[in-house]
Amino acid sequence: MARRGDALRIRDAPAPARAEVRLQPRPAARPRGNPDGGQWTETDANGNPVAQRRVRLAGDVPTNDPPEVPKERPKTSSERVGWLKATARTAAEQGIAAVEVAKLYPWMAYYAAGMQSYSDPPRSLDELRSATPGPGYDIHHIVEQGQAEDEGYPREAIDSPDNLVVIPRMKHWEINQWYQTRSPEFGWQTPRDYLEGRNWAVKRSVGLEALKIVGVLKP
Amino acid sequence: MSPQLLKDMPVVELVDQFTEITLRQYDAALFGNITKYNSLVDQMLAVADELKSRPGDQRSALVPLLVHPNRQVRLMAAEFTLTLAPVASRQTLQELSDAKVYPQSAYAMGTLRALERGDRKPS
Repeated sequence: MARRGDALRIRDAPAPARAEVRLQPRPAARPRGNPDGGQWTETDANGNPVAQRRVRLAGDVPTNDPPEVPKERPKTSSERVGWLKATARTAAEQGIAAVEVAKLYPWMAYYAAGMQSYSDPPRSLDELRSATPGPGYDIHHIVEQGQAEDEGYPREAIDSPDNLVVIPRMKHWEINQWYQTRSPEFGWQTPRDYLEGRNWAVKRSVGLEALKIVGVLKP
Repeated sequence: MSPQLLKDMPVVELVDQFTEITLRQYDAALFGNITKYNSLVDQMLAVADELKSRPGDQRSALVPLLVHPNRQVRLMAAEFTLTLAPVASRQTLQELSDAKVYPQSAYAMGTLRALERGDRKPS
């Protein structure tokens, strides 16, 4: 599996994106005040610099070459999702339509609508509730339906309009991932574990928080 | 890694361990390997606990990682230095949140919002 840092390359993209593009061209990725972005300073227990090291961009071999989007469909679902999200983000930053990206990478064509909706701006709760689901969008339960059902909440509550929103599909994937990932906000439990056995109001509060922090719901 | 091995490590090596673990978290998160990510959390907590147990709370040695090139390393360094370098760690979290690159942006925003609400008490 390819390992990647903060950069991604879309090869042979149409103008104006023909040039190499980077996923996160943020200056803060380099040490502040250090003209040599290729090094950072490490300190000892007293805060004194002890070593200068080469930058590591999360790769096995330190490199400044952005990885290239694979031409062939990645074999595993998790790899595909990783590349789709990274590519959607890069395309949005560069103003490239998802449909154009899909022309370059045919395996992405199936996901083009989802890639396009990934860059939707945050919306109000009313807007999310009243939206019509279409290609690239999913219906999402604010209070997770699986856990709520396991805990005996009635389907009428789980599927009530108050609990349903229409959100970009890839944001939906991110929320599902977030629910399963251990986080300091929940004492290093997963949100799902934290919510086990808690009441509807708490579940809903966390569900709304999830929508906010992935950028679907306006804060 | 056994607790005894961690106890025998100098601070600088513990910081190296922290960096390596959080880089592996980055890769796991990138490709949605949640099981791997969650198991790495235990390893990271063990290193952070060991640093905290050293005289003077040596989690301060994580402060330089607030400007590490990798955003997952920056995120976790910020999480563990909230009491020791509150301004710098919050600034790092704010930058990560503003960058809107999932998942680090989501966790950074979640922590900032929890701090604002008073739900999160850094220790």
